[in-house]
Amino acid sequence: MDVETVRKVAKVARLRLSPNEEAQFARDLEEVLNYFSILDQAPSFETHDFNPVLISDILREDVPGQDIEPEILKGSMDTYQDMVRGPKLS
Amino acid sequence: MSCGLSPEKLVRLNDRHHMFAELSSDLSALQEYPPRLHFSAKDNLCAQGFQARAGSRILEGYRPPFDATAVARMRSAGRALIGKTNMDEFGFGTFCTNSGFGVPRNPFEIGRSCGGSSGGAAAAACLLEGHMALGVSTGGSISCPASFCGVLGLTPTYGRVSRYGLIDYANSLDKIGLLTRDAKDIRTCLPIISGPDPKDPTSCVQPPLALDGRHVAQVAVPEEAIKNLSTGVEEEFRKALKLLEDQLGIEVRSVSMPSLQYALSAYYVLATSEASTNLARYCGMRFGVKGGSISQHFNDFFSETRSAFFGTEAKRRILLGTYARMVGFRDRYYMKALAVRQLIISEYNRIFQDSDLVLTPSMPFVAPKFGEIERMKPLEVYQADYLTVPANLAGTPHLSLPCGYHEGMPVGMQFVAPHWEERLLLDIADRWSCAFSYQFPEAEE
Repeated sequence: MDVETVRKVAKVARLRLSPNEEAQFARDLEEVLNYFSILDQAPSFETHDFNPVLISDILREDVPGQDIEPEILKGSMDTYQDMVRGPKLS
Repeated sequence: MSCGLSPEKLVRLNDRHHMFAELSSDLSALQEYPPRLHFSAKDNLCAQGFQARAGSRILEGYRPPFDATAVARMRSAGRALIGKTNMDEFGFGTFCTNSGFGVPRNPFEIGRSCGGSSGGAAAAACLLEGHMALGVSTGGSISCPASFCGVLGLTPTYGRVSRYGLIDYANSLDKIGLLTRDAKDIRTCLPIISGPDPKDPTSCVQPPLALDGRHVAQVAVPEEAIKNLSTGVEEEFRKALKLLEDQLGIEVRSVSMPSLQYALSAYYVLATSEASTNLARYCGMRFGVKGGSISQHFNDFFSETRSAFFGTEAKRRILLGTYARMVGFRDRYYMKALAVRQLIISEYNRIFQDSDLVLTPSMPFVAPKFGEIERMKPLEVYQADYLTVPANLAGTPHLSLPCGYHEGMPVGMQFVAPHWEERLLLDIADRWSCAFSYQFPEAEE
């Protein structure tokens, strides 16, 4: 992976990297991705699932509930009255 | 001291081995508990009264107002939570050297690794007699440290233990399990933490847990898995195979599992892809450390916190997983990795038609020295997981047992059972524990 790609991926992942980190990760990930290329030779399999065991029929009706007191949640965030404050969107 | 564990001794051991990220603020309450009823939780399991930092500085100060289901069930069964065990940041590591809160040191030799990522859990299980440590495995984070610290480490079937209250690494791979010195304690505690929980849908499809009714008669050793072992591990593993045959009357068969060559790559693609999305929530707003000025643009606000507080391995895995999911690479990496997982499950199932368990060493070498770990490249560290990754990828239950000692350091072997057949692992644990003498270092007074 070249440094330019590392920069692009880091931006998507919301990471700011130093020039040293960019160079180091480029070298590391190049090596790892070369190793991953063995997957190109793996036979494909007719089915795939997102879990290793069959997960099905687990849906239920939505029921309103309250697990955690809102006051406790507010205590761990930057809040103003009943609102959470965050950075600007634009 | 009624529970056999004095607060002073515990603090002294922790000063030497750094196995706890946080100890209970009220250790004197331990005296009210009967013997052998203390337990610990890996630091990525939420527990009221403790921080939950998952080895990451980005979660500094996060105090969950609830218990993870596994923790709640252990407490309800009358057990005292004495602390949160140290771990690689979010589970990202093989040697427990990637924690933001110190590095646990091996009970057998403090200049060596405890293994990762449940390194603190394994050290606690080894050093504290009668202790039960709750660990978590994504790609081998129970078997590896169990092997390096000479204890038993059970990773149940994917979905057997509710993950409500677990700080996720990779949702399709994470499993909560047990580390301890004693097979009997696994038999006691597995039913406590298992069972459906409406708060984790993946736990709701499981068949009832059976503890008995099957006896191990044959084990299969894949020829692909016993290459590239260190001399010490190979020697001790071969002696263990002989003991299984001669003393326990178990037939040992050699088999081939060609798909194992793809397991490591498929695992790291899935694990990092899932991790990179899970870690998006840590941005300085909701959990742990708070970001800088909110007058910044949100991209700058998020990037600033994440860049300052994630460790190097976390950044590396976020980059890798983000890349593997990007347009143009998804089919090549992520979808192919899902296919490989099914291939490996089908290969295990083929072998389970003739053999009760699959057996390999747990790790290719004994616990390395910290100096040796520093010289390893990231890919070399990932490759050290090649024996533990296949069963984790397949979601099959597995158990690491101490099977020998090389130059004073423990060697582990890992048994893999079919989905939901933990009772085969309990059977082998009981029988092996009678046939083989475990060694534990004398805790210094």
